[in-house]
Amino acid sequence: MAKMTLRIWILIISLFLALLMISPTFKNGVVIKNIDKDSNAFQSGLGQGMLIKEINSIKINSLEDYSLVTSEFYKDNKEKRISIITDKDSFIFLDYNLSSIVVGNLPKSNIKTGLDLSGGARALVRPVNGTLSDDQMSDLVDLTNQRLNVFGLTDLTVKSSKDLSGNNFLLVEVAGASPQDLKELVSKQGNFQAKIGNNTVFIGGEKDITHVFRDASQSAVYTAESLGDGTYLSRFTFTITLSAQAAQRHADITNVIPLDPTSGGQYLSENLTLVLDGQIVDELRISSGLKGQVTTQISIQGSGTGTTPDLAMSDARAQMHKLQTLLLTGSIPYQLEIVKLDTISPSLGKQFTKSLITLGLTVFLIISIILFIKYRKIKITLAVILTMFSEALITLGLAALLRWNLDAASIAGIIAGIGTGINDQIIIIDGSRSKDNSGIKEKIKNALFIVFGAFFTIVAAMLPLFWAGAGLLRGFAFTTIIGVTVGILITRPAFADMIRKIGEQ
Amino acid sequence: MVRTSDFQSDGRGSIPLWRINKMEQHTNQENKKHWYDKNYKILLFIPVTLLIFSLIYLSSFYSQNNDFIYKDSSLSGGTTITLRAELDIVALENHIKQSVENVNIRTISDISTGKQIAVLIDSSAEPDVLKPLVESFIGYELTTENSSIEFSGPSLGANFYKQLIIAVIISFVLMSLVIFFLFKTFIPSIAVIFAAFSNIVMTLAVVDFFGIRLSAAGIAAFLMLIGYSVDTDILLTSRVLRRRGESINSRISGAFKTGIFMTSTGLLAVIPAFLIVTGLPESFRQIFLILGIGLSADIINTWLTNASIIKWYAEYKKL
Repeated sequence: MAKMTLRIWILIISLFLALLMISPTFKNGVVIKNIDKDSNAFQSGLGQGMLIKEINSIKINSLEDYSLVTSEFYKDNKEKRISIITDKDSFIFLDYNLSSIVVGNLPKSNIKTGLDLSGGARALVRPVNGTLSDDQMSDLVDLTNQRLNVFGLTDLTVKSSKDLSGNNFLLVEVAGASPQDLKELVSKQGNFQAKIGNNTVFIGGEKDITHVFRDASQSAVYTAESLGDGTYLSRFTFTITLSAQAAQRHADITNVIPLDPTSGGQYLSENLTLVLDGQIVDELRISSGLKGQVTTQISIQGSGTGTTPDLAMSDARAQMHKLQTLLLTGSIPYQLEIVKLDTISPSLGKQFTKSLITLGLTVFLIISIILFIKYRKIKITLAVILTMFSEALITLGLAALLRWNLDAASIAGIIAGIGTGINDQIIIIDGSRSKDNSGIKEKIKNALFIVFGAFFTIVAAMLPLFWAGAGLLRGFAFTTIIGVTVGILITRPAFADMIRKIGEQ
Repeated sequence: MVRTSDFQSDGRGSIPLWRINKMEQHTNQENKKHWYDKNYKILLFIPVTLLIFSLIYLSSFYSQNNDFIYKDSSLSGGTTITLRAELDIVALENHIKQSVENVNIRTISDISTGKQIAVLIDSSAEPDVLKPLVESFIGYELTTENSSIEFSGPSLGANFYKQLIIAVIISFVLMSLVIFFLFKTFIPSIAVIFAAFSNIVMTLAVVDFFGIRLSAAGIAAFLMLIGYSVDTDILLTSRVLRRRGESINSRISGAFKTGIFMTSTGLLAVIPAFLIVTGLPESFRQIFLILGIGLSADIINTWLTNASIIKWYAEYKKL
């Protein structure tokens, strides 16, 4: 057995570290992705990221198990004792059900796959008028993040990016199921105003609205009624709490409005108009009892429509949910425009992933066979295969460490990186076997000149992709550059040593 | 390994038969080299003719289409719907064309069984227009389960395209700088850069000729081609310039043996993406397609263009 050189040791250690980064797991269970901070579950100590193993002594191995157990909770409307055992500790609390917790399957490794492989939605948004400063962009990222979180989306990334000519973009990616409302949620300014005549009583956002009720006691969607033309209308209502200042404003404004004589003095002569982004959501009559009152609780109403009563009600539910979200998070001070919107089917993504793995293995096999046919030496072939495998693994490890989303183009980058790796290895093998009189060290030195040259050209060639096209193709450049860098720093030196050892034997 | 003795009697005096064969081979090789020495400048005409031909084709393409490529909706603005279904695409196309003029439909099929896996519908229309049209044809709703919908606004598409063209140019300039830095001599560096340029032009001509609609990922593949295809040129140039002990021809032929093997492994690795494995993402297939065409062009440009120039240079400079 050949003596292990330092470079080969470095390779082995890197492989070990890469495996650690990827940390494939064979554990089963569901992981808590989001938990309502007001819930009893949260008070009892349960938290995000915990792995649920048992609920009320029933083992939980998958999402199916979880939904089977939790669906039982909805059968009666009673408070019950729920005991949950997680990887950290066990927790016991009282609640009606587990609606306060959002769970997901435990990821099999730290490798994150991009939208085109995992399914989901992506929106690229651009400010309509000119560009925004870095501070404004980061405000926009925060606001959008908050809005989507309030809406209930957890598995998402929101980031700003710039292209080569300095245009700002906001990139929103939601993994898994793609929400119908993403388009409106990210592009609507959400400028909410409640007006009486020309006076604004309150606006959306926490300055005026201290709380938006979203539980069943203070929010509701009513049974749809037929409009006669084949469509149905369903109304919704929910309560909000106004800040003291907004409540005082309400009192001051209503105080000077006369009663409406046509309603027999039951209502004021002007209505409360709810306006969202310049469009009237609803118009409410103000009962005379509220005149001049400092009212902190106000009920907001609106409606949804549909061609069947069910569709109308689900539309109403969706509208209510959206309005609640916008009221809670306030408006975005910039006019935005959606320039790209992709929704990728998770099942198509699954097929893509399967095909990519098949392709990877096929290419691996073909290369191994060709190399063996060419060199007829099992040791050399094995050295190349080991190097190929190491490059792929270390690149994946780095991608996992950097939380990089691997999309289809990134995987093409990994394969291309390995491809240049193969080229380099062929150059080293042929270089070391060339017939000239220089020693093997000199030959490998000459080969490494070519290898470094090839490295710098591919890095130089891929670099512009980091900025071009709003960064959507960054993954392709990223994995290629990481792959060839791993090659040049870790695997190539080790491979050269292996070939030297094989050559000396 | 057991070595045969040189003085083993084998019938023809003291020269073993395998040596005679080898000697004959050697004379053949000498003849070949002789042929190469005579004709290498003429060989240069082949790639130059191909390049000129490609350039003429591209310029006529430009005058017809007002652009150098056919763009898909990710670059020209529009919608792509990928639907997992088996259906009659001609009928679907006719159905959509009643309302939307610009539509392009392709299928993704399993190569071994020929079975349709999915249908790709590419149009300049917005999703709100295209979606109902497809739905009315297939008779059910498009959901996130059965289909993917990708939309790019026209302004973004135009912006993307411009950006990517700039990226290709920057990429080419950066690559050229690296080449100059590596070889520090003018003509050998120019030869490599010229070969890389020919690669791009020829690949583009082939892509246009087959009517391939390029996506953003497809253009990104050109950047990779710039970086990837110069590997063999660097190999050739560095062997010719740095390995002074051998004759120029044997330096070139040594580089050729290594380089052609490199390119063939590359090509063989690209092929399964089209012939064996199906159901790959379109962006991925396009990257591989461009690399495949580019690597084929690279064989011509490295071993005819670059090799001839570097031989000419080395002989002139008596290296």
